[in-house]
Amino acid sequence: MQDLVLNAQWFLAEATTHAAEAGGEHGGGHGGHATLSFMGLMIYTFAIAGLIMILMAFAKKGLKDRVFKGRLLQYFEQLHGFVENLCVGIIGGHGRKYMPMIYTLWLMIFVSNLVALAFPSSPTADLSFNLGIALLAIGYVQWEGMKANGVFGHWKHFAGPKLPIALIPITLMIFVIELISEVMKNVSLSLRLFGNIDGGHQAATAMNELGKESNLFLVKYLPFGAFLMPIKMLTCVVQALIFCLLFCVYLSLVTHHDHDDHADHAHGEEGGANAHPATT
Amino acid sequence: MSEKSYPKKSSAPMTIGMIIVGAALMYGGMYMSSNVTLGFQESLNEQGILLDLGKTIAVIGVFLILFKVLDLFFFNPLHVAIDTRTDDLERTFGEAESLRAEMTQMKSEYEKRLADTEADARAQIQAQIKEAQDLKKSLMADAQRQADDYKQTAIAEIDAEKKKVMTELRVEVTKLSLQATEKILGANVDSDRNRKLIDEFLTSVEAKN
Repeated sequence: MQDLVLNAQWFLAEATTHAAEAGGEHGGGHGGHATLSFMGLMIYTFAIAGLIMILMAFAKKGLKDRVFKGRLLQYFEQLHGFVENLCVGIIGGHGRKYMPMIYTLWLMIFVSNLVALAFPSSPTADLSFNLGIALLAIGYVQWEGMKANGVFGHWKHFAGPKLPIALIPITLMIFVIELISEVMKNVSLSLRLFGNIDGGHQAATAMNELGKESNLFLVKYLPFGAFLMPIKMLTCVVQALIFCLLFCVYLSLVTHHDHDDHADHAHGEEGGANAHPATT
Repeated sequence: MSEKSYPKKSSAPMTIGMIIVGAALMYGGMYMSSNVTLGFQESLNEQGILLDLGKTIAVIGVFLILFKVLDLFFFNPLHVAIDTRTDDLERTFGEAESLRAEMTQMKSEYEKRLADTEADARAQIQAQIKEAQDLKKSLMADAQRQADDYKQTAIAEIDAEKKKVMTELRVEVTKLSLQATEKILGANVDSDRNRKLIDEFLTSVEAKN
């Protein structure tokens, strides 16, 4: 049975991944660092989206009942309430309009993270995938910012508070720093997710190598990496939460209409928002 | 309230447009993944950071489609169902609240009517008691009057009987006195004169008594 699972995992890994050119150099002694091929990533992504849609299709059957009796639908309702609280709590009353987007991101990231627990790879273990959703999120934040404040108002916000003409160089520096900060949001969002999921994978793979040299059967085949499972499961939830939470924070910063209070407050929270996940 | 801020269903052209853009990005990403490699990607790959911008672009395309599809397929119906249920519950609670208010009003009316009825009953009882007391007084007065009448009649009869008895007694005493006197004196005394003397004597005795 264990051989069957290992063979299936190997087949899936071979079919969907290709070893990095740098794998030999950086992979160390635990099989090299592999990433999903384009088709592999698409297969995983569509499989996860398909799985989510199948679950939704099952859950949808109970939507017409006055009371949601289906366990699956109750889970989706709980999640709906959670996402709604997240949006309304951070962004404000108008945050509900971002719910479909954040709900989708939450589900895709969370299920991808769960997939990473049992499969050799996962979309969120791929930096390109994470960069894609980060670019989408940050791009949407800019779009909403321009819709809320106007194109000029939005970009002017990056220049910081209004300073005397003599301090124009400072204003320019602030503008450039803010732009870099904005670009770095993409990097931080994607690298954080990638690092946690792929890092968990690498750690589990490395730990599974423990005891391979032992003569004791029990020790030789004991999956030490499985001991990481509780913390990896926690990571699945936390990383999906952090991504969505930060997305909400960024949206909140650009869509608050009280600009006077917002300027200082926003910069303060931005730092705080970035600082908090870094400790995770 | 929540419906106002929840995104309404996108128009069909918007949805189709997003799906087309998403599909185009997926295709462009696929093309870029297999044919285009930027300089910084190679340097990143050399450092062990595996980045494929083709995949990134394709993922953006996939999510553009997914946002719309999942929203139409599930999120919107779920949100509508939850809102409908919330409205139903609010309406039910509202009806229950109005029924409760109605019941409270009915209860207060009932209590008021009960209190009025009790007050009426008390007043009626008091009136009956008063009437009974009046009747009792009246009956007592009648009885007293009747008793007084009986008493007066009895006194009058007693007096009459007394006078009669006294008269008879006087006659008898006179007779006895005369008989006694005749026996004592042994002579026949003029009865009329003696009787007159005895009468005078007895009258004087009665007057003393």
